[in-house]
Amino acid sequence: MSHTSLFTTLALAALPLGTFAVEPADSLLTGNDLEQVVVTGTRSPKLLMETPVLTQVISHADIEKADATNLKDLLQQVMPGVEFSFAQNQMVHLNFSGFGGQSVLILVDGERLAGETMDDVDFTRLSMDNVDHIEIVKGAASALYGSNANGGVINIITKQAAKKLNACLDARRAKHNEQRYGLALQGGSSRWSNAFNMTHTTQDNYDVHSDDGAVARTVTTIFGDHTWNFADKALWQPSDRLKLTGRAGYFFRQVKRSEESPERYRDFSAGGKALWTLSDNDVLEGSYSFDQYDKSTWLKSQKIDTRNYSNVQNSVRLLYNHTFGDNVLTAGADYLYDYLSNNKLDAVHRQQSADVFAQLDWKLNRRWEFVGALRYDYFSDHHIQRLTPKLSVRHTPVDHLNVRFGYGMGFRAPTLKEKYYDFDMIGIWTITGNPLLKPEVSHNFNLSVEYVKGNYGFVVAGYCNRVTNKITSGNPYYASATETMPRLPYVNIDRLYVAGFEATARARWSCGVDARLSYAFVDEQAGHKDGQKLASPYLPARKHTLTAHADWTHRFSTLLDGMVALDGRFLSGIDNQEFKNYYKVEEGTITVHYPAYTLWKLSAQMSIGKHLKLIFAVDNLLNYRPKYYYLNSPVVDGTNMMAGCKIRL
Amino acid sequence: MAASCEGVFDGIYDEGAGSDTEVKAGQLYIDATSWNDWYYVDLDSLLELTDKGDVAALQQAQTKFTPWPIPQTENADAARDSSGMYIYWFDIFGKGMSYYERRGYKPTAPQPEPEHWTFAVHRDNVRTNGGSVFETSYTSMEELPASASSFVDKTFTADTWSERDVWVDRTEMLNCIMGNQGIKINQVLSSWLVFNIPPIPPTYTFNNHVFILRTKDGEYFALQLANYTDSKGTTCYLTINYRKIAL
Repeated sequence: MSHTSLFTTLALAALPLGTFAVEPADSLLTGNDLEQVVVTGTRSPKLLMETPVLTQVISHADIEKADATNLKDLLQQVMPGVEFSFAQNQMVHLNFSGFGGQSVLILVDGERLAGETMDDVDFTRLSMDNVDHIEIVKGAASALYGSNANGGVINIITKQAAKKLNACLDARRAKHNEQRYGLALQGGSSRWSNAFNMTHTTQDNYDVHSDDGAVARTVTTIFGDHTWNFADKALWQPSDRLKLTGRAGYFFRQVKRSEESPERYRDFSAGGKALWTLSDNDVLEGSYSFDQYDKSTWLKSQKIDTRNYSNVQNSVRLLYNHTFGDNVLTAGADYLYDYLSNNKLDAVHRQQSADVFAQLDWKLNRRWEFVGALRYDYFSDHHIQRLTPKLSVRHTPVDHLNVRFGYGMGFRAPTLKEKYYDFDMIGIWTITGNPLLKPEVSHNFNLSVEYVKGNYGFVVAGYCNRVTNKITSGNPYYASATETMPRLPYVNIDRLYVAGFEATARARWSCGVDARLSYAFVDEQAGHKDGQKLASPYLPARKHTLTAHADWTHRFSTLLDGMVALDGRFLSGIDNQEFKNYYKVEEGTITVHYPAYTLWKLSAQMSIGKHLKLIFAVDNLLNYRPKYYYLNSPVVDGTNMMAGCKIRL
Repeated sequence: MAASCEGVFDGIYDEGAGSDTEVKAGQLYIDATSWNDWYYVDLDSLLELTDKGDVAALQQAQTKFTPWPIPQTENADAARDSSGMYIYWFDIFGKGMSYYERRGYKPTAPQPEPEHWTFAVHRDNVRTNGGSVFETSYTSMEELPASASSFVDKTFTADTWSERDVWVDRTEMLNCIMGNQGIKINQVLSSWLVFNIPPIPPTYTFNNHVFILRTKDGEYFALQLANYTDSKGTTCYLTINYRKIAL
């Protein structure tokens, strides 16, 4: 097969930006991930082993084995260097190898997500029931993705519907009355297909207890919630050269924090995409995406639903890929209209942003491949402009061995919230926006070595990031002598260094054993040039993390597949400097110790015939409970038994 | 297309539904969001306006209330350990509000008040003018008996001294330290709206039972908190139903 036709085939199979991926066979036994087509690193389809940008893939099989409900559950189980903690009001905050939620771009089929709380997207809306695989590219990628792609890109690739009509029901129960129910319907013919997914989850509030002697704020009640998530995706292929897709989704979450006035979160999404194969050498993609994320309060006794936040994003994208020989030229442009209404802002704000970019993927020979990209971004609010480059190199000195080097610039434009926030936080302080914030800019260098042969694979990857003008909440201050309430401003801090490396070994044996061991080291240093200390509400990355996975999959008969898996993660302890007195920063800081912890999960799955799968798991096998339930402590309260089943019709 | 640029399905929310400040006879709407003021209600004068049939004046009197500032300036001449600001530390982020320590006291002038008043509100706190209160199990004013005689033998609770409930000075709130006004409040009537902290942000527990207020002159009034937010969800906008009950 020529390279050109290979490219076209990959494009049609994966679609640029991963609109669809082909659903794998319904089996616990899966093929080699290296045949996986990935799109995130270059915005053009590449085989995983050949892509010049190191891409980590969480495969469909990994997702099935993890039995994760949402992205948070999955990442913290399988990814080293990832930790989730609580922000105020128990909103979930991500630390992704030293980068917070706003500096990691999370995409679904290449599209951005609207809405944020305390700098992070709503992870509960990222249900795993319709996900084919997840592609993760660490390091700055703003030359392809623009703002927010400072610390990396997580691209969730959803499933493509099977042509054959089928339905799937699943249910799972666990501790604290945690329940999950799912429904998937899909079907189609040679030219069209449709997939519908629905997930409903619920969990009760529960209390946790800290020992005496806590030196930082603790949590006493973990708030449950219930969610509904609906997604529909349709594909129509009027000809061999044209694919049209449409999608719509609705998400609802109600948090059980207050019986009288629970908080509600809703998301409405829709979009369309056209992939037109102009010739064997040319593929053009156009898409439109709508995403609206709302927050409201339900006043139960008054039966009033009052909305206090709405973020609406409309985006249009164009992407063109042209192949010549072994090389690919990629060019694209995006437009985004961003609307934010928030009763904690001084007014409603709107922003338009646009960008153009180009990339050349030059394959010198089978040993050397170079990718260079350049992008220009414009933001209408304060007329911010950025030019960002990126360079990636793959060298294959011998078969099965890849050495990759990359440099990328990343940036994050200040959000409308960070510019215009004006929120009296129940008298504690006024969180104050800063219209003069500068964009956060990062320089990322990475080097990796990957060796894959037969049943074994090894990857070692190192990186360093130098971030200037990092945007974060600053230290509290009084705006004037007469003000009695301090202000908590958004500021640019001088520097952030994030450096680290990861090492992963993976093996698969024909006896059905699959094992993976990953270690990550992260060193995160933030501060001002003059040594002024920061009152960051979030814990820096823990320096050492280890994740381990082993499973044994066996086909006992044509009617019986079984799998037993053990997953573990270890996170080292960390001391964090936190202010003694948030009103008197000059009093200095105290050291809050967050101890090391390890969590293990044992799970078993049994497929009986084509129609039934039973799932059992014991999470937190070692019955770990933190001594103090600080905001940054793991939210576990002992062993959690889970039982579920999946029925396929 | 233009509409979708700034959102869809606005209709599922109750934004801007109705007017906050239009109330019916026998109903109050008080902006009690201030941490620094008490608002006084004189039910006798409201009943006089009702009897006169002056709809405009009644509407005004039922929705416009004068703030009476809580004295916060230190006054050394004030009686020690009586009126003033009481500084307490609460274990907000630990064991809860029932764990506390007194950290200081600042004498201030007594709380000023008008010549005639029946009860007063400060956010979730309520005081009576020498009255006492009984909580019924009724949840509607219409369910109440026509005569107050059925309440005469009930146990009414008078106002009691408090120095940890009327939160005023929040300048050290993050350090779990609050400046509270030392003053008598009615704990029974104040239970119509309970401010729960933790969690952070706080939550409210709303009690829509009808309360019977017996004034110092022996009159009986039924009071019910009908709502505690405005149409945008801001708390401590109090809608209160009231009615005099003859003996």
